[in-house]
Amino acid sequence: MSLFEVENLTYYYPETEQPALHNVNITIEEGEFLLIVGGSGSGKSSLARALTGLIPDFYGGRIGGTVFYKKRDIRSISRRDLAGEVGIVFQDPEKQLVMTGVEAEVAFGLENMGLPQAEMFRRVAEVMSFLGLTPLKTEFTTTLSGGQKQKLALGSVLAMQPRALILDEPTSQLDPAAAEEFFNLIKRLNEEMNMTVVLVEQRLDRCFHLADRVMVMENGEIVRDGPPGETAAWQVKNGLPFVPPVATLFARTGSPDVPLTVKKGRRLLKKKLRNGDKEMTVALDQQEQVMSPSGGKPVVEVKDLWFAYPNGREALRGINLSVNTGEFLAVLGENAAGKTTLLKHLAGLLKPNRGKVTIMGRDTRQATPRQMARTVGYLSQNPNDYLFQDTVAEELRFTLANLELPDEGRVDRLLEKLDLTRHRQANPRDLSSGERQRVVLASVMVAGPRLLVLDEPTRGLDYGLKARLGSLLREIAKDGTTVIVVTHDVEFAAEYACRVVMLFDGRVACDGLKHAALGSSMFYAPQISRLFRDIDSSVLTFREALNKMRLSPY
Amino acid sequence: MLQKFFYQGKGLFLQSLHPAASITFIAVLLVLAVIFTHPFYLIGILMVTLLALWAADGLAAWEGYLKVALWMVVLVMAINPLVNHNGNTVLWQGPCLPLFGQIIITMEAVSYGAAMGVRLLDMVSVFCLFNLIVHPDRFFSLFSMFARKSALVVSLATRLFPVMFAAMQNIREAQQLRGVDFSKGTLRERAVKNASLFNILLVSSLEDSLQVAEAMHARAFGSGPRSRYRRDIFRPRDGICLAGSIFSLGVSVYSLARGLGTYTYFPELSGLFSGSLSLLALAAVLGGLSLPALLSWGCNRCHYLKLKI
Repeated sequence: MSLFEVENLTYYYPETEQPALHNVNITIEEGEFLLIVGGSGSGKSSLARALTGLIPDFYGGRIGGTVFYKKRDIRSISRRDLAGEVGIVFQDPEKQLVMTGVEAEVAFGLENMGLPQAEMFRRVAEVMSFLGLTPLKTEFTTTLSGGQKQKLALGSVLAMQPRALILDEPTSQLDPAAAEEFFNLIKRLNEEMNMTVVLVEQRLDRCFHLADRVMVMENGEIVRDGPPGETAAWQVKNGLPFVPPVATLFARTGSPDVPLTVKKGRRLLKKKLRNGDKEMTVALDQQEQVMSPSGGKPVVEVKDLWFAYPNGREALRGINLSVNTGEFLAVLGENAAGKTTLLKHLAGLLKPNRGKVTIMGRDTRQATPRQMARTVGYLSQNPNDYLFQDTVAEELRFTLANLELPDEGRVDRLLEKLDLTRHRQANPRDLSSGERQRVVLASVMVAGPRLLVLDEPTRGLDYGLKARLGSLLREIAKDGTTVIVVTHDVEFAAEYACRVVMLFDGRVACDGLKHAALGSSMFYAPQISRLFRDIDSSVLTFREALNKMRLSPY
Repeated sequence: MLQKFFYQGKGLFLQSLHPAASITFIAVLLVLAVIFTHPFYLIGILMVTLLALWAADGLAAWEGYLKVALWMVVLVMAINPLVNHNGNTVLWQGPCLPLFGQIIITMEAVSYGAAMGVRLLDMVSVFCLFNLIVHPDRFFSLFSMFARKSALVVSLATRLFPVMFAAMQNIREAQQLRGVDFSKGTLRERAVKNASLFNILLVSSLEDSLQVAEAMHARAFGSGPRSRYRRDIFRPRDGICLAGSIFSLGVSVYSLARGLGTYTYFPELSGLFSGSLSLLALAAVLGGLSLPALLSWGCNRCHYLKLKI
């Protein structure tokens, strides 16, 4: 039985001429797990909102066509009834929690539905128990970790007992472990409770295989709709990147079977790789050789760095680190491992309790953040923290003026380099997320820093934007600027960095070239590396895997 | 660092009270601090509040509040004798100053200033106690019985306050590393720099608020009359504490009606106690208000008592 039927749906947001959805026709069966993929602005989130009635009920705008839920026009169903049938979890947990306490948050939707006390209590108890939230019931929502917050957001929707669950990039703010846990929960809900799931996601390596059906969107239209394997093969053939690396790899090598998981990929690989023995190793990624500076004066020197926050929590414990000119370093680790704290020390925003941090020979204890600004470019997690000028060009000039630096064509050159020239006079807040990030990057790069530090720059970016950012950072490193990136994105680190540092509980757990650091890791290895474990440990990046596969005739 | 000043779930007896009992207790303390002028009553209320703070493991937090409040208390105590020339017992006569006129320090004005200082201390301590023993959601839940929408707005604002505080810090850091020095420049220049911080925060908050509104909309907010989720259970301990607070309030009203809780400062200080009844009334008021702290102490020592109430 079909739960949703979308017929000829076309939708324009208010005051726009370009449709966000164009003639969309789909049917979603009850109990189905549908994955929607596509680039930024392809209409994925708009379709998700249309399925929940938020479009046009909340957004307004112009709409054509109809969304049917259980054969009824969704617009004829009261909001209260619809909320009890279709639930939605959004991208950022911070922006969907309303109450101060955990238990009150779960009950919020139930109160809105006007349910009696006994019913609310039963549902709150059930959901908290199912999601393991009971130990947190008296906690403040602000004290929870990102993963806990997203689980709470899910719980507060599940308490309303919807038949269909719509998830709009629910793991984009989570670390790998929390994302894995979240997807496992969704899988349980789908398989054990027959809940219909519509998932919009960018982290495809962890969820592609869970779906019954994958839908690819482009410019507000559905360009492909089918089983995951078939859709993956079609995407690779048509040059679309919304496929897990393992599937892309096999599809690129012309394999008729396209595996979606490491397990299936390994089985296939072992069967097909005729010479899968140890001596069959490929050359290291050329990019890595180029970008692993062999010597030179270190730009960053951290010696026995200790730091504790005023509440007594020791965030860094005896960190030693040296980073050379032009190196591209990725810092990985779980939440609260000390990654951001380390980054803030490198930027001179925090001063060591003990030990020493020197940037280009300057002790950060002796320098104000303003003095550091000429040497260090710092990008925090949220690009919106930077943008307040009326135009993109003014954002760049603002930095120059503060640092008393002459323009001398810097603004033009940088806008050109970051492909922002056409947005020169645009308000930065009107740009897309990828463009906003490039504007922020330009506004710190304009000062010509020798060290660029970025905190979680791939958050919320699709595959295409991530690739573009990675290439850009590589280029910046190649030009002699040292790049240090804090990230949860193992695939990004493996593909673009040359060296990896892993932090655990404020200490360096591992520091080395990416092959040594990630190739030997169990949980921080990228999908490609997991695919080749015990087959060829030198394979880490997509390019290396492709070379290996091509070198090994089927 | 600021966490110790606010509610932290520690599983304490006072935190386990039904909000009706804990809020009544706090409200009675506050009302009595306002209506009594007698120094012994004001000091007594301070003692009872400190006892409750001790039971709530909040003396360290109270010291923090004290660091701020003490300045105000000293200011009240110092300014009152300077501007209040009432009273017959002159301690010191000084020169004539502009605005103040001739400086005349009287014993009565000093005593009145001291009593007002203690009253201020009472209020700050009660506020501290409120922050430590009443969970905001439970408070808003009770409050929402009377004003649902207002309670929700306050709850939302309470949740967003630390989030915005952190966002402000992030914006400041980002600006600092683009060369902005917030400590340099004229007052106007510094004001402009700080205004840009608020500008970014405001624009970002407006964008974020749309997302919060969307999430609320998706969870049927505003779709019709709401019900109220109650998670609190009314236990014997709540009844005892509530009864103690109401009893104290009743005795206080009786004392005031009989003139026992008031004290005359001007033109001359009256006697501190008019008889044994006034002492008895004071003991009764403080006794009723001490019940929550005493029960907390008892429950920590006697498992049987804890099980029974």
